[in-house]
Amino acid sequence: MTDTDHRTIVSCSVNGRRRDDVVPDNMLLVDYLREHIGLTGTKIGCDGGECGCCTVLVDGRPRHACLTLAAVCNGTDIETIEALDRSGRLNALQRGFNEKLGAQCGFCTPGMIMAAEGLLRDNPDPTEDDIRQGLAANICRCTGYVKIIEAVQFAAAELKNEKTGAAA
Amino acid sequence: MEFMPDFKLHRPATAAEAAKLRADTEDALFVAGGTDMLVNVRRGIEQPKALIDVTAIDDIKSIAEDEDGLHIGAGVTLRDLATNELVQRDYPAVAQAARAVAGPTHQDYGTVGGNLCLDTRCLFYNQSEWWRQSNDYCLKERGEICHVAPGGKRCFAAFSGDVAPAMLVYDAEIDILGANGELRRQPLTELYRNDGLNHLTLEPGDLVTAVHLPKSLAEQPSAYEKARIRGSIDFPLAGAAVRLVMDGGKVANIKIALTGVNPYPQVVKGADTAIGKPLDEDALDALRENVRKQAKPMRTTTVAPWYRRRVVGALARRLTAQLAG
Amino acid sequence: MNEMKKSPQPIDKPVKMIGVPMPLVDGPEKVSGKADYTADYIPHDHYVGRIFRSPVAHAEIVKVDVSKALALDGVYSVVTGDDCDEGFGVLPIARYEYPLARGKVRYRGEPVAAVAARDVETAQKALDLIDFHYNELPAYFTAAEAMEPGAALIHEDRPGNLEREVDYDLGEVDENMVAADLVMERTYNCAEICQVQTEPHAAVAEYDAERGEMTVRASTQVPFYVHLMLAKTLKMDQSRIRVIKPYIGGGFGCRTECLNVELIAALLARKAEGTVRLVVSREETFITHRGRPETDVRVKIGMKKDGTILAVDCTATQRGGAYGGYGIVTILYAGSLINGIYKFDHARYKGLRVLTNTPPPGAMRGHGTVDVRYGFESLLDEMAGELGLDPFEVRRKNLLKAPTTTINDLLINSYGLGECLDWIEKESGWKKRLAKMGPKNRDKDGKLRGLGLGCAHYPCGASKPVNWTGEPHATVNLKLDWDGNITLLTGAPEIGQGSSTVITQCAAETLGLDMSRFRVHTGDSKLVPKDNGAYSSRITYMVGNAAIQAAENLKNVLIEAAARKLDAKPEDIECLGEVYRAASQDKGLSFQEVVMAALEGTGTITVKGNFDTLPESHGTKKYRGGAVGGSMAYAYAAEVVEVCIDPDTAEVTVERVWAAQDVGRALNPLSVEGQIQGSVWMGMGQAFCEGTRFHNGLPITGNMLDYRVPSIVESPPIETHIVESVDPHGPFGAKEAGETSLAAFIPAYVNAIANALGVRPIDLPVTPDRLMELIEKQETDARVAAAQEEEEMA
Repeated sequence: MTDTDHRTIVSCSVNGRRRDDVVPDNMLLVDYLREHIGLTGTKIGCDGGECGCCTVLVDGRPRHACLTLAAVCNGTDIETIEALDRSGRLNALQRGFNEKLGAQCGFCTPGMIMAAEGLLRDNPDPTEDDIRQGLAANICRCTGYVKIIEAVQFAAAELKNEKTGAAA
Repeated sequence: MEFMPDFKLHRPATAAEAAKLRADTEDALFVAGGTDMLVNVRRGIEQPKALIDVTAIDDIKSIAEDEDGLHIGAGVTLRDLATNELVQRDYPAVAQAARAVAGPTHQDYGTVGGNLCLDTRCLFYNQSEWWRQSNDYCLKERGEICHVAPGGKRCFAAFSGDVAPAMLVYDAEIDILGANGELRRQPLTELYRNDGLNHLTLEPGDLVTAVHLPKSLAEQPSAYEKARIRGSIDFPLAGAAVRLVMDGGKVANIKIALTGVNPYPQVVKGADTAIGKPLDEDALDALRENVRKQAKPMRTTTVAPWYRRRVVGALARRLTAQLAG
Repeated sequence: MNEMKKSPQPIDKPVKMIGVPMPLVDGPEKVSGKADYTADYIPHDHYVGRIFRSPVAHAEIVKVDVSKALALDGVYSVVTGDDCDEGFGVLPIARYEYPLARGKVRYRGEPVAAVAARDVETAQKALDLIDFHYNELPAYFTAAEAMEPGAALIHEDRPGNLEREVDYDLGEVDENMVAADLVMERTYNCAEICQVQTEPHAAVAEYDAERGEMTVRASTQVPFYVHLMLAKTLKMDQSRIRVIKPYIGGGFGCRTECLNVELIAALLARKAEGTVRLVVSREETFITHRGRPETDVRVKIGMKKDGTILAVDCTATQRGGAYGGYGIVTILYAGSLINGIYKFDHARYKGLRVLTNTPPPGAMRGHGTVDVRYGFESLLDEMAGELGLDPFEVRRKNLLKAPTTTINDLLINSYGLGECLDWIEKESGWKKRLAKMGPKNRDKDGKLRGLGLGCAHYPCGASKPVNWTGEPHATVNLKLDWDGNITLLTGAPEIGQGSSTVITQCAAETLGLDMSRFRVHTGDSKLVPKDNGAYSSRITYMVGNAAIQAAENLKNVLIEAAARKLDAKPEDIECLGEVYRAASQDKGLSFQEVVMAALEGTGTITVKGNFDTLPESHGTKKYRGGAVGGSMAYAYAAEVVEVCIDPDTAEVTVERVWAAQDVGRALNPLSVEGQIQGSVWMGMGQAFCEGTRFHNGLPITGNMLDYRVPSIVESPPIETHIVESVDPHGPFGAKEAGETSLAAFIPAYVNAIANALGVRPIDLPVTPDRLMELIEKQETDARVAAAQEEEEMA
């Protein structure tokens, strides 16, 4: 157990829900999400920052939950894979990964999708090279990445259609 | 739950507070993005009693321009550095170097200060606690011998930051806030020493708060390239930054700096012998050989040191030739 | 917006469920974070398990003093080698590994003790309190060192540190080498490879002390083997054990045998009388290993001028690590699968599986064949060059004609390699483009380009299982109840390869129903029929066939019910999936009506389908171990790789890959493409950057920075093409799709580099430092030659 003095109150938003938690200073964000809150969609695939499986969005930008202290997330807006299909339906990226087989074993998928989500929010119309650069911190061992690129392209096209559809 | 050593976390809101905390707290370390520091903490390489997180300090997070040049806060993320239009326009090697660090996610929260102060790396050092303990640790940490050069009394761990060489070719200066609250400015070169064990010249309590890139060198052409096995994530096996100004077909100004091949980011000596001469094949070959001579990589990565020396010369030569047009 | 998922509508023709691209049945869970992997089970009352690992490579254990650890507050159990004297292992003849070392430790990182504590800090503190006393012994980190005369024995009963020596000599090799126009021989060193599946190993063991029952969730490809080994090592009745396989984050063979992780978790849980969650680190996952062994492959081929292969002579020496694992099978596969891809009648093989003080390798994707295939295909290209033949021509000269039987009695009933070659040759523009590549054709940046070809094959499941019990190879149960939903029960472990999807497709196709009528359940030993596991590409072929048979049986039940209801003869009933009708009738009965008719008097219907292999596919009796390699069918692949080389940095870029695979029939073309792409790409990792390194037995590459799995940036576009040779025994003609293409990439890549540079890399991986050495040697040689020429002129 950590020293009782070594604790911090974290007030943050996790997947749109406001939270106030007391966390040990040395607790990693990934453990806060998985073990403290029970959001196990975020995965741990390596011993620190090498695989990208734990990628979540903090204030809209991708971040390794395994190299981030929960305590420094005070005041932030955290989004995990569980946030994306809040209405019970898969979002465009999730549909892309499902329909284009961007996920085989699925273990890298939550991190990969969150990295892609960060990319698309920043750049809704990415080129293939943009996608490669945007997902370059995420390792997948199943797909050879070919169908991951197709999945993101599918999602970008869907989002574009949704937008133009809404405008029309 | 991942195992983490126990420490107290401080999140000061000002640089002054941070420097004071660091000086007043036993066994404390600064952490910014944490992309490297927290890996080392998780591995027990660092076992601080306190971590002082500097990411809540707002006034070290901006990039500002004035008549002296560009002032980059140490807390600026590598992504913001890479995508800043002024950096891209005036100091292109710096933007390229920031974009070359690890992967995009690391760039998103890794900081300029963190990359400049990055710990040196070695395959006998960047391992787990169990691993290092089973190997009797090493000269750099708790041990008696260097596994790279057994019998030697020096540590050859390689400096592996990407941003430093790119800033060095622009004669960058840094601001350091001391524990006494005094801010001092010094050339970036003076931040480093050629010692893998203790490669930073900072005193306890010193916090790097900003980098200054001089106006006088703005818009001078430059480039950075690193050799790595994968197109992402890898630290540089070797990296070179070059700033080159040509005038009438002759070299008017040139500066070259290296990373990954020595315990510190190193400005190549004698590059200025090219000044006043055309950059023909012989001159480029001479430049390459000069770079190779000064690069002294050791067996700190899985890739052979002789290759890293060959390639760093090739990179410097190629970048120079490309910049010459 | 998505449309509402439609419930099955009565339509008047059977739904086509195979040959159609299908997303995975468990895809939505995977993309939404709902899929629970082993480490995602975090029971509130669990204890944290952690392993104390050996700091030395080879030593006699003097004492493992755990008294201080046990005395620590918050520690619930500590186990050592004394807690388990039953060996485990996948092969009944090689079960001499213990969950925790006994007597000796034999590799750095071998588990010595383990603790279960209330939290991770306490567990770590307990590990730090364990005193391990030992006497170090000489340790051997290469096969050559371990085989030196006088080397200390790693296991007393393995003289010469040899795990297994394999020998066969079929036909008249020496005579045919003499008769050949060209004989060439080379030795290739292929680095040890790790699977690096993204999910680190994990096990959650729950001991019910009240009932004396054990439930283990584990990240495994072989829940049945885990079940067997739990019963053996815990000395528990197997009926009191339940093994659950949750979602699995990839395997590629590293979990094709029971690992010490799940056994240690169970030992801790029983002793603590509680639930132990043991999630090991990435480093520990590397140490647990079971990857592809470092192999030295010597290949000698005798060839006629026209490219006909006359004879093959091959040796494979594998660094086998400290324990047997699948080792004997690996060294047998390496020899057996020299055959089955090209026609030749004379072959000799010697295989040496050597014990060393390194973590034990296992059965990695392309088990046994990959390194030998690399050497073979590399040498074929080199010989083609010597004879002035096109690499395609040499392969075509030696194609098999199905049906045929090889000299080691492999049954080849379908063979689409020729079509694979045709497609990649055409699509890659080989004939036109090859001449424009090579060292004389640098592009404007001074870069070099090359094209290379490689071929490979792989079996569809081992026809003779390692644990021979007389049971069928595969069993599928279908349960049909009043609600009209069919529950498919299979023990076949879905590990990301899409097996649950393809098995469901087979059953759905047979019944003419949409897959939405099905729900597949796998991975719980108390619910599903036993299955040997996800390995050697057995599931599609074997379990797919069992699913078809089960569905046929169900269809017969439904047809009989429809016949009763319609007052017709069963043979007159036409099954249209959602509609059953008598031939003459128009409307017929809906599926739901037939179901209700079928349930009358019997209630819930359960049927079963089995699959067994043909005895003639069980390999050869011509040499000891000849059953390994025997399979009902073989898949074939051919690839062209295009590379671009930067001579300044010796960096190689794979520009494009054309990959064609004969999969018999693509049941799910989407999944097949995904498998081919994944295989090709994994081959690329092995070819260009992957490989373990050790420092006195300590794994330097035990992390994902130093063991470099390719990132998306340098990973090439892969054009895939499916060839359908329609295997006579495969489910709807299908063969394997998930392994074959891996092995073809590696020689194609090296052959492309050789084409680009004019010199040939030999050892794997072809890292830039190795390539730079080759380029510089070539330059030096050229300078020396030029100087000599000048001298002679003068």
